[in-house]
Formats: sequence, structure tokens, C-alpha cells
Amino acid sequence: MRMPLKMRLYYGIGRHLPFLKIRPPQVDRQAALTLRPGRNSLLSWEKRDSGETVLTVPQNQKVGRMTRWLAKWMNVPNARHVELDEVGGYVWELCDGHHTIESIVQKTGRQYKMNRREAEVSVTMFLQMLHERNFIGFYKKVGKKS
Amino acid sequence: MPTEIETNQPSQSLAETETAPPASQTRTVVGWQGIRCVLPPDWNVTGFSMEHESGYLRVDAPGNSALTVQIRWMDAASQGNNAPTLYNLLASRVRKLLRRPEPPTPKPDLKGNLERVLKETARQAKKAKSRFESSIKPEKTEGEHDERMAINFTWSGNGRGQGKIWHCATCNRVVIAQVVGAAKDQHAIADIASQLFASLHDHSDNGYTLWALYDLQAQIPQDFRLETQKLLSGYLHLAFARGGEKILLDRWGLANMTLKKFTLGEWFANNAAVRLKGLQKETFTTPQGHEAERYSGRLSLFARIRALRESLGALGRIPTRFEGSIWACAESNKIYALQVLHSARTEGLLTEVVNRCVCH
Repeated sequence: MRMPLKMRLYYGIGRHLPFLKIRPPQVDRQAALTLRPGRNSLLSWEKRDSGETVLTVPQNQKVGRMTRWLAKWMNVPNARHVELDEVGGYVWELCDGHHTIESIVQKTGRQYKMNRREAEVSVTMFLQMLHERNFIGFYKKVGKKS
Repeated sequence: MPTEIETNQPSQSLAETETAPPASQTRTVVGWQGIRCVLPPDWNVTGFSMEHESGYLRVDAPGNSALTVQIRWMDAASQGNNAPTLYNLLASRVRKLLRRPEPPTPKPDLKGNLERVLKETARQAKKAKSRFESSIKPEKTEGEHDERMAINFTWSGNGRGQGKIWHCATCNRVVIAQVVGAAKDQHAIADIASQLFASLHDHSDNGYTLWALYDLQAQIPQDFRLETQKLLSGYLHLAFARGGEKILLDRWGLANMTLKKFTLGEWFANNAAVRLKGLQKETFTTPQGHEAERYSGRLSLFARIRALRESLGALGRIPTRFEGSIWACAESNKIYALQVLHSARTEGLLTEVVNRCVCH
């Protein structure tokens, strides 16, 4: 499914060139809480005994042969690792395309005894950060990307 | 993630083992600048002002509900003729010096205040092209000792509201409180309004002001004024001052994760207002049964100079001593820290506040 033009403009140009004043698409809170975050299938992850979750983000995948050769010659690693703390790992596990943001907020709040508002702010900020790095996408319905 | 344990026992036995939820899960206590009320669970403070004399408080319903509670208060004395003339500036000081009583303040015009508020609401309804209607009930006296003159009102236009305006003779405040929601929320508004007005107080009775928001509840002596606040997700900080004396209240979330990396003492040493090295350390149990650490001692010379600089103009209350305590509450998964910078004549302030701090 293609993203609407306004969204493509913002994510393509707007967020990198703020002086163009291309505003991000407005999503009301009620609609946002019904979205279902899903993990990027290119990423692999593992949970450590210490509670942290390590994401492996592949690099040099969609590049030309020359760039790949240069990367190999300059010892650029093929993947980078991102470490999430216990709460981050817990939210990451729930990003399976089935749980809505609302249910993730509720479960995180219950698990870590957080106030509803605190949980909502923390979880939505974290999901926003993951989305900006293309680690997750959002589905409107199960299996349908928004 | 809460794991569901499968058991072969019948559900009856599970139900029997369930205990009643703690009070904090069945209601929300809100306390700010002397205003306090009880609301349904998960309602949260979303807007407030820092001033004690006049200000506002906004509490929103959880989830997607449009219901909100709005409370405004103002000092009735400030409504009269108190233009900053030389006479007005000097008169009160001279009266204090001669120990003469303040002249009685004229009764505030409740109806006039209410009409101003409704006029503003009507203007918003007009902008939204909605028909505005309001109804004002006659003035009546309320309270245990008839100390309140109150007027109830309702309105409908761009939404719907039910509220009350009153003047309290004890604290000399004019308070206007209303529950606002969408037009379809008529019954919910009435329910919340009855709960709100049954529990709403505008002044403290025991000399302590209740400060309650986001699961934090503490009673601070009422002559301390809120100086700074930081309300972040997972960290709350309220700082109160009386002259140069200070009470600092901190609350951190996710205590279980913090305590995996730090001990309580290390965490406090990293976040305390003064250096803890050289202070006397002891442990005690809080009234709610938590093991707490207490640090006390004289402020260092540098800390005293800093306190003196910060408390210029309040020479009677220069802090010379520090008392601080920290404890972890497993029930709410939070860490609480209380720090008091006080003068030698106000010993025991920390214990007073710790005893009045509710963590779960």
C-alpha cells in the first residue's frame, strides 16, 4: 500500500529540511492508539540473560557492488547492534503487528507499575523513536500496513 | 509481561485468594495548591499553575474520553480595590507593625465572576457555531459551619458543563470548578460532578497542604510554597520553600531496574542536593513499612553560602542543616527521596513529612 503524498513528502524531505515547513501528517490520539506496531523483518534480535535485548540491524544490503567492495575494503561492519533495556525489550517483543499501541501501553503500565499517563508517554515516545529509525512500521489492521 | 499461570484448581479458589485492590487503584486523589479532590481511577493532572494566590488546575479522564475537570481559584482579597498605590502598599505593613487587624474584605461578586466565565464559554460556542444555553441556580450557603456561599450552574454549547462557584470564608478564596465533556456525556458529567463536589476542598484543616498527582501523595506544611517542579515520565520533582528553608521531594519510577545497578545509598548520593560524605547515616522504617536510609548533619560551608545567597531577604530562615531520606516502595515500584534544608530551630521537619507521605 502506498503512503499518502503528504506523508511521503514529510518523511522524504520535510523532516530533514525543517525550513521548508512541511508539517508531519496529523494523526489524532484516538486513532494513533489503535495502530499496531510491527517489527521490520530485516532486523534480528536476541534477548540476553541480563534482561537487555540486542537488535541486529543489517547494513550494506541495498548498495551497489562498488560500495559493497569499498565497505569490505574499509572494514565497515555488515551490521550494527542496538541495545534496548529491559522495558524497551518488553515493548519490542509486543511489537508483533497484533498488539495495538493502547494494549502495549496497558501491558507495560501493569508490568512495571507505571501510571497510565506515564506509560502512555514513555511507550509512544519509544515507538516514535523506533519508527524514525525504520525498526518498526504501523499497521492499521492486522496484516495491513498503514 | 504478566504471565498467566495455569492451575488445576477451580476458579472459585482463585477468586477467594484475590484481595481487594488498593485504594489508589479505585480512585485518584488530586492535591495542588490547597485544592484537593477525589476522582475516578486513572484521571491525571494535565495542566496547572504555579501560583498559590490564583491559578488553575486541569484533570483529564483517561483514554479517549473528552471529560475533563477544570478548577480555577483566586484570592477574594485581590478582587477588591487593591491597586498598587503607595497607600495600599504601606497600609498593610503599618497594620502588621501596629498589630491592628486587617479590615474585613468585601464579599466577592460570585454572580459577576460566573457571568464572565459563561460569557467566555458562550463566545467559544459561537465560534464553533453551536447554540449556547446556561442555567444558574440561586445562591446558597454550604459547609459544616456555613462558610461557603455557592452557586451551581450548567451550560451546553460547544460541549456540556456542570459546575459550581463559591467563596470560602475560611481561606477567602473564590473557586470555580466544573466538569466539561462532549454533549453526549450528560450522565457521565453528572456522575463525575457529584463525586467531585462531594470531595472538593479548598483549604487544609490540619496545617498541611496535600500535594497529590501521578500516584504521589505528600503533605507539606502549608507555609511552604511550591518553588519549582519537574513532571517527567518516570521522574517527579517538587521543590518547596519557606524563606531559605527547602523541602525537595523526588519520585523515580521503575525502581526494580534502578536497584539492579545501584544501591539506594548510591542512587541518593548521585541525586542529592548536597554531598552526603560526612553526614550521619542511619536506617529506619517508614510508617508504610519500608526500610529507609536517613542522612543528617550540618551543611558544609559552601552549601551554607549557597543557601544564604538563595535566601536573601529571608534572613530569619537560613538553612544550616540537612536531612534526607530515601526508600524504595516495592508495591508501587518507585523510589522516593525527601530532602530538607532547614534552620536549627525547625528540627524534625523531615520526620513530619515522611510520616505524611503515601507511596502505595
